[in-house]
Amino acid sequence: MLRFTLERLIGMAITMLLVSLMVFIIMEIPPGDYADRYAFRKYSGTGVNVTEADIQAIRVELGLDKPMIFRYFDWIGGIVLRGDFGQAFAFETSVVKVIGDKVWLTTGILFATLILTYLISIPIGIYAAVRRGSAVDYGLTIFSYLGLALPNFLLALVMLYFANRWFGADIGGLFSAEYRDAPWSLAKVWDMLKHLWLPAVVLAWSAVAYQIQTVRATMSDELNKLSVTAARARGVPERRLLIKYPARLAINPVVSTIGFDVNRIFSELPIVAVVLGLTDLGELLLKAYLDLDMNVAGAILLLLTFAIVFMNFLSDLLLAWLDPRIKLGA
Amino acid sequence: MTDMSDPDLTPKQKRQLEKEHQQRLKYYSASQWTLIWWRFKRHRAAMLAAVLLGLMALAGIFAEFVAPYGPVTRDTKYIEGPPQIPKFCDDNGCSLRPFINGTKTERDPVTLRAISVPDPDTRYYISLFVKGESVKVLGFIPTDRHLIGLDDPDQKIHFWGTDDLGRDVFSRTIYATRTSLSIGVLGVLISFFLALAIGGAAGFFGGMTDNVIQRVTEVIRVVPIIPLYMGLAAAMPKEWSTTQVYFAMTLILGLFGWPTLARRIRSQLLSIRNEDYVVAARLAGARPRRIITQHMLPSFTSFIIVDLVISFPYMILSETALSFVGLGLRPPSVSWGVLLQQAQSVRAIEQTPWLFIPAVFVVVAVLAFTVIGDGLRDAADPYSEAK
Amino acid sequence: MSRMLTVENLSISFRTDEGVITPVQGVSFHVDQGRTLGLVGESGSGKSVSTKALMRLLPGTASLGADTRMHYTTKDGRVVEIETLANDGEPIRKLRGGEIGMIFQEPMASFSPVYTIGNQMMEAIQLHRPMGRREARSYAVEMLNKVGISNAEARVDQYPHELSGGMRQRAMIALTLSAGPALLIADEPTTALDVTIQAQVLDLMRDLQQELGMGMIFITHDLGVIAQIADDVAVMYLGTIVERGPAREVIRAPQHPYTQGLLAAIPSLDKLHDRLSPVPGDIPSPNARPTGCPFHTRCAQKIAGLCDARPPREIQTQPGRAVRCWLHDDEGRNAA
Repeated sequence: MLRFTLERLIGMAITMLLVSLMVFIIMEIPPGDYADRYAFRKYSGTGVNVTEADIQAIRVELGLDKPMIFRYFDWIGGIVLRGDFGQAFAFETSVVKVIGDKVWLTTGILFATLILTYLISIPIGIYAAVRRGSAVDYGLTIFSYLGLALPNFLLALVMLYFANRWFGADIGGLFSAEYRDAPWSLAKVWDMLKHLWLPAVVLAWSAVAYQIQTVRATMSDELNKLSVTAARARGVPERRLLIKYPARLAINPVVSTIGFDVNRIFSELPIVAVVLGLTDLGELLLKAYLDLDMNVAGAILLLLTFAIVFMNFLSDLLLAWLDPRIKLGA
Repeated sequence: MTDMSDPDLTPKQKRQLEKEHQQRLKYYSASQWTLIWWRFKRHRAAMLAAVLLGLMALAGIFAEFVAPYGPVTRDTKYIEGPPQIPKFCDDNGCSLRPFINGTKTERDPVTLRAISVPDPDTRYYISLFVKGESVKVLGFIPTDRHLIGLDDPDQKIHFWGTDDLGRDVFSRTIYATRTSLSIGVLGVLISFFLALAIGGAAGFFGGMTDNVIQRVTEVIRVVPIIPLYMGLAAAMPKEWSTTQVYFAMTLILGLFGWPTLARRIRSQLLSIRNEDYVVAARLAGARPRRIITQHMLPSFTSFIIVDLVISFPYMILSETALSFVGLGLRPPSVSWGVLLQQAQSVRAIEQTPWLFIPAVFVVVAVLAFTVIGDGLRDAADPYSEAK
Repeated sequence: MSRMLTVENLSISFRTDEGVITPVQGVSFHVDQGRTLGLVGESGSGKSVSTKALMRLLPGTASLGADTRMHYTTKDGRVVEIETLANDGEPIRKLRGGEIGMIFQEPMASFSPVYTIGNQMMEAIQLHRPMGRREARSYAVEMLNKVGISNAEARVDQYPHELSGGMRQRAMIALTLSAGPALLIADEPTTALDVTIQAQVLDLMRDLQQELGMGMIFITHDLGVIAQIADDVAVMYLGTIVERGPAREVIRAPQHPYTQGLLAAIPSLDKLHDRLSPVPGDIPSPNARPTGCPFHTRCAQKIAGLCDARPPREIQTQPGRAVRCWLHDDEGRNAA
């Protein structure tokens, strides 16, 4: 187990290294650099005449005149060694301050969505497989087609519309007005939980559609396995049999695709955030892109990807624990 | 087997048997693609989806002719107007030809704003092939005829209403269909060629090349795709023309769409190489060229086609999402995402719900591609039964 | 020797997309305590389906014929009419495992891969014997020892994939027997094993049967295996029993052309340089059952106009032996 874990950890480190390279390249692609944008933003409209020399001075001061590879190591070194993601020019403060507790908000949204996804999709997928060909089964097939076809922002709008009609106006966002800028407290957490369900439902939508299909397919396969017939021939009661034999194996593919689900959720996050007015990393990412505040954008992209890679790692460990056929250490 | 020379059979039975025999013969001698087509035809949902998609594509290709008005033509007399539904009857009686009532401008007694109210005393008749704006179909066929419109060239009909600038939602949606579908096609094509090259190289060379490619693929797959697209789209200079942005978008979508397909091609190559029938062909002395064209390609082209079809929805949804948040195509281009940008708020649902009509197109197109993909997958499976 | 199982007129139909098919028609057999009945036939002859019907393990699309009777006498002497039981429920679950045990062809697939051997054995033991966890565990180890698994104390905590094929089948036997069945149904238990292991497993099963005094139904397509293990044999073809009798006699002097064909098809060392003589043709599919005698399409001795028109009845040729063939039914043939 230790060796298995270590191997996965090393794999994770290599992946993250390559990811950071890619993120860095994306940060470098927009025309102009930090110094240009910083100077433009700071002095435009103030009447101060910024010369190329001024910008160059900023560049030298921040080390931006060095070749790209050095800048990359400055950047990644700062992150790994000091947890320093650089400056966010649009906010005139450090990236870490801008991101701040949005990381925890995003984690909250993520886990709420994941829990909701699995709470819905696993039992329903199992039920659909056991009752194959029933009306419920057909209904679910149609639902999962829709789950894939309905753009999430549209779903968000529709949900928002109905939520507003049924639950009153203050349903968008993550907090009620009185808590939005209040310091963290139990009451604020409770308030957030009350708002969390809407983004969770919207974000879980396509993941649920996808996972129901996965669970249903595996469960159908497993139900036809000889081991199930053999257990039945031993007199194992039906309900216990379903849970212990086929259902237990039907959740394996779900566990192995947790990373994909996280990926899908994060992929949808910025757009859903816009519609629902969430003040999380997704919204910040979009804003950073629009402002070309690439330090912030890069940091968020890196964090989101790290979360995905980490969840992949966790799902590997979980799967190895669930399925004895996966040889530990091999 | 029933013997056809059996003397006890009546001529009618013989003919029946002969017919069945012919059918069976046709079935056994049909090519792989004919079989796939037969099986696909039986898949009713997939056929329906294919027809729908075909209609959409046709409307898109001939948008200039199908759409009554240009995508940016404004009707200042009918701003944020609801859909106008053609009717055959009104208070003044019925007609065999569909028509709409005209509108007249009045001042709202409370706000004093100019508003359009229906005028039941005027009728404008709807015709096919009416004269309208001069356009060039497919970019080079000049015409001023449009598929559908009002007889009176000074009046306009808005089947699906208008937006806040008085632009016809129906016409804009038709034009947007062309943009969105073509971006999907180009994006899929780009990612297909990349996947073929990358996956092919990994599967063909194996070893170190394969390892490196696998790593890179893994990295691209692990980054959330829409934020990644957004990063590249954000980098497009603001001063780019709509054409530049359009091609940049297809490139961005294509550039990162390949990993899944490349992986598929690689694993197919690796597994088919060791299939018993390929090994058998090799042992039987078949030349590599024959093995590749006769044995390996047929078994995997169908997979690839299915994968291509089901990767369309991702392209379309990505484009829509990016344009929706303002990082993709920009006005004055029209795509489904750009159109939906006008419908970003709950207020839009309440006051101008017709602005959501393009969303129906998105949903239908994505559903259609998915259903066709499923139908093709079933049809391409050589073990599924066909009659 | 008391009779433990009587099956009369077993017919099984399935609803399919192409209509109703009836892969088993009017099958009757019985099993006595301590004796082994061999069911022989090609794949598709209805052997497995028949025994699955005994355990009510058929899917919902299957139904039994109206005059099917399956009577089983339990260990405490009650007679259970299996055909009246529901597929799922307390009464049939009592029979499954505890009264009638079943062993399948694929030992790997019969175990769930994610639980240890011991876990699955203890489940069966605790379902059918009043034992606690610890007791059940030591009984599991005892049973593993009994079937010749060395180091049973350690094996009990291993997963199925950690055992070899022969070991897995031994473990499966241990698992099935640990529930204490009086009747054992073995569905080609040695087919998936290497030949040398096959013989060991066959010996083991015969010894255990003797020791525990169980009745057994042994399904196989291999008449050679029948000679080793079965007391009586019933040869099935396309859902009916075409010949039955004591195993030795049937093998020494087969009466039905199909049984003769099966025996002739067995490769033997005496005829090393001859070509094998297979039964010609293929077994017809159950939805295209031939009229008359089901075997007439492949029979070299068929009587035209009779075999292909009217199904033969079962004729007792000697005490304890019967055959379903027009060649042996002089009376019926003359009448026709």
